[in-house]
Amino acid sequence: MASLILSPAEQDYITQGVERGLRADGRGGLDRREVTLRTNMISQANGSARCRTGYLGVGTDVLVGIKAEVNSWTAGEPEDRGAVVCSVECSPSAAQEFEGYGAEELNVELTQLLDRILGGPQSGLDLGKLCIIPKQAYWVLHVDALVLDVKGSIVDTLVWAARAALLATRLPRVVVESIADEDGNMQSEFDVVDDAEDQVALEGAENLPLAVTFSQIGKRYVVDASEQEEAVTQARVTVAVSPQMDICAIQKSATARGFAPSLLTEILHSARAIAREEHARFKRVFEAASSDGAAGEPSTGSTFLGTF
Amino acid sequence: MMDIDTEPVAADVAARIVTPGSAITSDPAFMRGHGTFGEGATIYSSVAGVVERINKLVSVRSLKQRYSGEIGDIIVGRITEVAAKRWRVDVNSRQDGVLLLSSINLPGGIQRRKSESDELQMRSFFAEGDLVFAEVQSYFADGALSLHTRSIQYGKLRNGTFVAVFPQLVPRSRTHFHTLPCGVDIVLGVNGYIWVSKHVSAAKVEANAEHIYSDCNEPISDAEREAIARVANCVQLLNRLYVKITETSVIFAYEESLGHAAKDLLSQDVAAELAHSVMARLKQQAS
Repeated sequence: MASLILSPAEQDYITQGVERGLRADGRGGLDRREVTLRTNMISQANGSARCRTGYLGVGTDVLVGIKAEVNSWTAGEPEDRGAVVCSVECSPSAAQEFEGYGAEELNVELTQLLDRILGGPQSGLDLGKLCIIPKQAYWVLHVDALVLDVKGSIVDTLVWAARAALLATRLPRVVVESIADEDGNMQSEFDVVDDAEDQVALEGAENLPLAVTFSQIGKRYVVDASEQEEAVTQARVTVAVSPQMDICAIQKSATARGFAPSLLTEILHSARAIAREEHARFKRVFEAASSDGAAGEPSTGSTFLGTF
Repeated sequence: MMDIDTEPVAADVAARIVTPGSAITSDPAFMRGHGTFGEGATIYSSVAGVVERINKLVSVRSLKQRYSGEIGDIIVGRITEVAAKRWRVDVNSRQDGVLLLSSINLPGGIQRRKSESDELQMRSFFAEGDLVFAEVQSYFADGALSLHTRSIQYGKLRNGTFVAVFPQLVPRSRTHFHTLPCGVDIVLGVNGYIWVSKHVSAAKVEANAEHIYSDCNEPISDAEREAIARVANCVQLLNRLYVKITETSVIFAYEESLGHAAKDLLSQDVAAELAHSVMARLKQQAS
């Protein structure tokens, strides 16, 4: 997505490599790069995660914070559901062309994509459980993502980080009391328990999907495209797959071409196979990140002042 | 805060890592060099880096810096713009370098003045995005580098892959174009741009002098691709783990890496282990 100009010889080298199944960095077509993850490092947020896809401390880097707010219901909104509101912003430090308004379009594109993956029942989140009192009050989860570095494959990293942040999210417990007023009508009131120990996880967060983005280069396709590979990508499709292996969102991104139907069918098949491995990997990485605390802090291999 | 040295001896001043604002010495006998500033009698570091001392001159070499060119440097650059009688070239420096139309070789090595028709077809020589292998010829008044490609070995780069590293890791040496024993050519640009490609013999290059500006790659086999990827990953890991990048260190890294698949070289543990053994071998060789 970052604009990078390559020479025709480099483009040819990358394309040939993809078609032969041996990419410029030695990976096969369906190999993914390393992922490092850290959770709950923003104390003000209800849940947060930082995820990086890449090697040795360089790579696409996304920070997601979840902030839960109580909203009062207004007419026209769904009566018995909470809401998820996404917002993605690309930091100007990630790439030069994000300076000024340069990232505007990409921000809108990524925000919408994340909204489509997380914002409805397809996300697996139990939005009904986010309702506090029907037609009165509900939780709004603000999913705010900041893209800190771009080295290819933003969407997959973004969804990884969002999923980790939502899994790490703890909502304060809410006590609802119903009192009858003098006319005998039932009135409900609620109280948010202000106790760091007394918090609950999001219902259904373990059903959240992961995204796998396929980039068509030449006649074949790759997953987890590098920056150089994105520069020669002709068409791109993101497939979000739940842990139950259901495909819950598909989006083709605006690029030079479309997919041949046969290739798209093949992609949807391999999306599920890859998602199965990715969900297993996510589980492993997430557990390591949340169990060891400071020891689980990913070492980045950077020689200069270290980690995240 | 760092200790302020009261009795600076060579060991106190040199070979120390400092951050911006660290006091280096307060002895008035020393002179301020690059990367330092003085306040009162004390010399402070203005960058993060290593303290160096040459006689009475104290300077700090920063750990991360842009390339600053010297005449005769052999570099790799990427064309960013085609302008009147010149190309602008990204050379990883503070400003773009310049390649004049008059400082390139014409296809076939014809020696003549560049005419107006050459000017009109400049894009057929180098277009935006092309990588060039060049030498620094001189400076312009504003400090921009003027490059030239007037030798058969210089010119357009093909058949391989590009890696960018920290420029301070590539030392200046007699040659920067190496053919590694694994059958891979590598250009170690002093500016930190590195080109790893399939080996093409010099005889073949000379025979194809008409096609020096071609954009077509030679056929590259899977084994060659694997070797190129392995060398490129070796360079990348040396860079990330801050090891000098020379022909020797790349060969060592390549040899050490043979026990692992090329795609695994950059994973945390493998990279750290390889960098360790490369450094050990370099040390052993030096002693």
